[in-house]
Amino acid sequence: MTALLALHVVVLLALPTFVVGAINRTKALWSGRRGQPLAQLAFDVVRLLRKRAVYSRGTTPVFRLTPWLGLATALAAGLLVPVLGSTAPISFPFDFVAFAYVWGLGRVALILGALDTGSAFEGMGASREATFAALLEPAFFLVAGAMCLLTNKRSFSAVLELRPTGAIDGAAWVASVVALFIVVQVESARMPVDDPTTHLELTMVHEVMVLDHSGPDLAALQAGAAIKLTVGLSLVAALVNPVVGHATPLATAAVNVMLTLALAIAVGTVESLVARLAMRAVPRYVVAGVVAGGIALLATTFGAGGTG
Amino acid sequence: MSSIVLAAGLLMLGAVLAVTLPRNGLRAAASVVTQLAACMQVGPSLLRVLRTRAPLEGILHWSYPVEDINLRIDALSAFFLAWSLPMTLLGTIYAIGYLKPYFASGRNGGPQFALLNMTSLAFLVVYSAQNALVFLIGWEIAAVAAWLMVIWDYRNQRIRFAGFNYLISTHIGLFVLVAAFMLMYAQTGSMDFGTFGAVLSKPGRLRGVAFLLLGVSFALKSAFFPFHTWLPRAHSAAPAHVSALMSGVIHKAGLFAFLRFLLLLGRPEEWMGWTVLVFGAASAFFGVLYTAAQRDMKRLLGYSSTENVGIAAMGFGVGCLGMTWGLPLLVTAGFAGGLLHLLNHGIFKCLLFYAAGAVYRATHTVDLERLGGLLRRLPSAGWLFLVGGIAIAALPPLNGFVSELVIYSGLLSGAAPSPPARAALVAAAALLAFVGAVSALSIVRAFGIAFLGSPRDASVHVSSPTPLSMNGPMVLHACAAALIGLFPLLGLAAARAPTALFFVPGQPTNDGHLVALLSPIQIATQAFAGLVVIMCAIGWAAGRRARAHVTWGCGYTATNSRMQYTASSFSAQLARIFEPFLPQLRRERLPHEIFPQERSHVATHHVDAVERRMFEVLGQGEEIISKTSERIPEQPRFAFAAGLIVLVVVVGLLLGAGAR
Repeated sequence: MTALLALHVVVLLALPTFVVGAINRTKALWSGRRGQPLAQLAFDVVRLLRKRAVYSRGTTPVFRLTPWLGLATALAAGLLVPVLGSTAPISFPFDFVAFAYVWGLGRVALILGALDTGSAFEGMGASREATFAALLEPAFFLVAGAMCLLTNKRSFSAVLELRPTGAIDGAAWVASVVALFIVVQVESARMPVDDPTTHLELTMVHEVMVLDHSGPDLAALQAGAAIKLTVGLSLVAALVNPVVGHATPLATAAVNVMLTLALAIAVGTVESLVARLAMRAVPRYVVAGVVAGGIALLATTFGAGGTG
Repeated sequence: MSSIVLAAGLLMLGAVLAVTLPRNGLRAAASVVTQLAACMQVGPSLLRVLRTRAPLEGILHWSYPVEDINLRIDALSAFFLAWSLPMTLLGTIYAIGYLKPYFASGRNGGPQFALLNMTSLAFLVVYSAQNALVFLIGWEIAAVAAWLMVIWDYRNQRIRFAGFNYLISTHIGLFVLVAAFMLMYAQTGSMDFGTFGAVLSKPGRLRGVAFLLLGVSFALKSAFFPFHTWLPRAHSAAPAHVSALMSGVIHKAGLFAFLRFLLLLGRPEEWMGWTVLVFGAASAFFGVLYTAAQRDMKRLLGYSSTENVGIAAMGFGVGCLGMTWGLPLLVTAGFAGGLLHLLNHGIFKCLLFYAAGAVYRATHTVDLERLGGLLRRLPSAGWLFLVGGIAIAALPPLNGFVSELVIYSGLLSGAAPSPPARAALVAAAALLAFVGAVSALSIVRAFGIAFLGSPRDASVHVSSPTPLSMNGPMVLHACAAALIGLFPLLGLAAARAPTALFFVPGQPTNDGHLVALLSPIQIATQAFAGLVVIMCAIGWAAGRRARAHVTWGCGYTATNSRMQYTASSFSAQLARIFEPFLPQLRRERLPHEIFPQERSHVATHHVDAVERRMFEVLGQGEEIISKTSERIPEQPRFAFAAGLIVLVVVVGLLLGAGAR
């Protein structure tokens, strides 16, 4: 158990580099380039940590502290999720509520850091982030609630063991996977909601909020974002992982890590083939996630009361 | 029981002294000292009631028409009194600092302090009375005292209007309440709550009518949607300590009274629970949407009261359903969550209003579009506002998270007997998640625009720093928010005794699962807080060698503070998505031609949808109806809708007649 716990922490710290590397490599291959090293993010973080930060004269300590608050929330949320497929280091009833609100605190930290600069660009990104998050939050709770009702369990790692056994569970499961994938796309600022590579401020959400951060602070932000993305993808991976409950924890963990990387490749593929949505169309895409969550919940009402 | 009477006497003495003593300092001292003495007087007995759960009872003999005054302090009264009295005391201390500039210009603060004492007295009366007449007297003292405190700045016509608006609204609520009491008096011939209970617990039509009348009256008192229209005006007009106490403490009396009558009702019917849940959900939803579009910081906080009482009512609704279905799990999660949320709301809402008051005192405005960069010039108010903001957005590790988590645990428990009911509760949880995210947006917007960035308006000057008498109460409120956040079991301990009152007799009583729910949360939040502190320390150390420069203008070098994102632009996208609920008034003269000759301007303003509709219907109701009826023959859509309505009404009447 302790070994598994240690492995969880190691994976939580090491995997984000390779998830981001896998996405970037996929995108490079699609566009006919060789691409950067798989561990480029780690190199970037180390390089940034050695640099000095530059702070705007208009900023307050809020600007200095929020990147680190964001990193703390990403790490804490990572400990609540079964990144290795079966169990999470910290698990208690309704831990997914805590997970959602810890992510929420990270979002608030990011927004406050952006507003502290007084830059109109960053204010714009902050406004978009806050709006999309508000629309997105119900999707996560609809899915989590539906999974609670179907499995009759209350903790994250237990409800993610939901597997389709009939038409009704099947529909709920598919809808849950779709909704969770949209949640991850929006929360970790990937296409088609946000473009993590563009430098055109007017079209960005997440990237525009970190324009003024530099040095160690930027390293904390990048590490935090990568951890958030990895945790989100491993959440989806745990829901589709076929061996959960049938194999040893170690084998489950191996399969889950592989699935997470596969999902990263899927994200990279989506990003290579799909254009970013127009900003006014993004809310509709987010609402599609809520609708999928609603379908999952509706499905529970037909299942003769689920298994409860 | 004698301690209550003594405390009431002390409070009245303080009120008399406050209006008779010669100097403002002495008047304030009289009020603070008597309130403190009253708190010390009743404190131990309240704690004893909360610990042993044995009610305090007593009878006070009085003359006609009241005759005997039955006083009874059970766990519910003790819970409300235990924080209402100290918070009022803190508000009085805050008022000393807040009103000092007025005192310097010769205003007499005596009435204000006396009214604060009377508010405390009203709590004692309302929370302990067992007689409808005495209850109404306390209710009226609280309402009139609040009105007189709101119009402190009575020379301003806008403030008189806001006060008058409040006075009328609260009295409409009073009429409905009196109607409910008359109904019950007609049945029992007594004004005693105990005898009301005998009628109320009998199933039948009377019970439903009384429930609805009481519900409307208490919803008006607590500013539930759509009865909230008086609230944003009153809260933005009143002095900060009055807004804080009204929002955080005084209007909790409405929910207290609701719970008091729910106890008399016994086991509620299923529709009652759903009504409370839907009402709460609607208040939370609309309240939070209105907060997102306000540009007046105090109006924003006012609307957020509507939101938070809605969240608490969602908890109470779950609890009522639990009582109906006989599920102690839902009873405890719903009532403990709702009660704890009321306490938490008192803690962080007072803190936020006090911080907003510090802003008003220093800058003479709370218009977000004119503020900016205040954190550097009012550091104490700014940081404390941030603490309150994180708490009100229900983010860990502060107290708002604890109570919302308990309510979530009821909504997501899946304990309801039928699948549709289970799904409906989960949908309510999703709505609560939406409310949480939007309230995070609004409070981040308020803090980010007012306290971060750079000043937007050069004509706003920041005067004196915040005095100790204002910082002290704020720090205490912030500590309380952190305490309940880091020690959720402590908060639960406060709400456990009143929650236990709601167990239906003859059913298993168990609230152990809440302890089981919150024990791991307690460890997890403490660990999380530790992690945050460590990471922030690392970050602070890493940033020490930093250089200073200007904010990057993306290559544009002539940036100025007017180019910052504004409060309106921050919420524009959300407001556009929810346009039907957030009507925007727009006055504009747009430029014409290539070289416009005339000055152009645009001004936008978000108005209250309910108030606007109300005035529209009152003012032009006939016109609207005649216009619509004219359109029916022209437009097939309207004709179809009208036909459908007629059909539904006819079928409904037929079915109703058939059911007889």
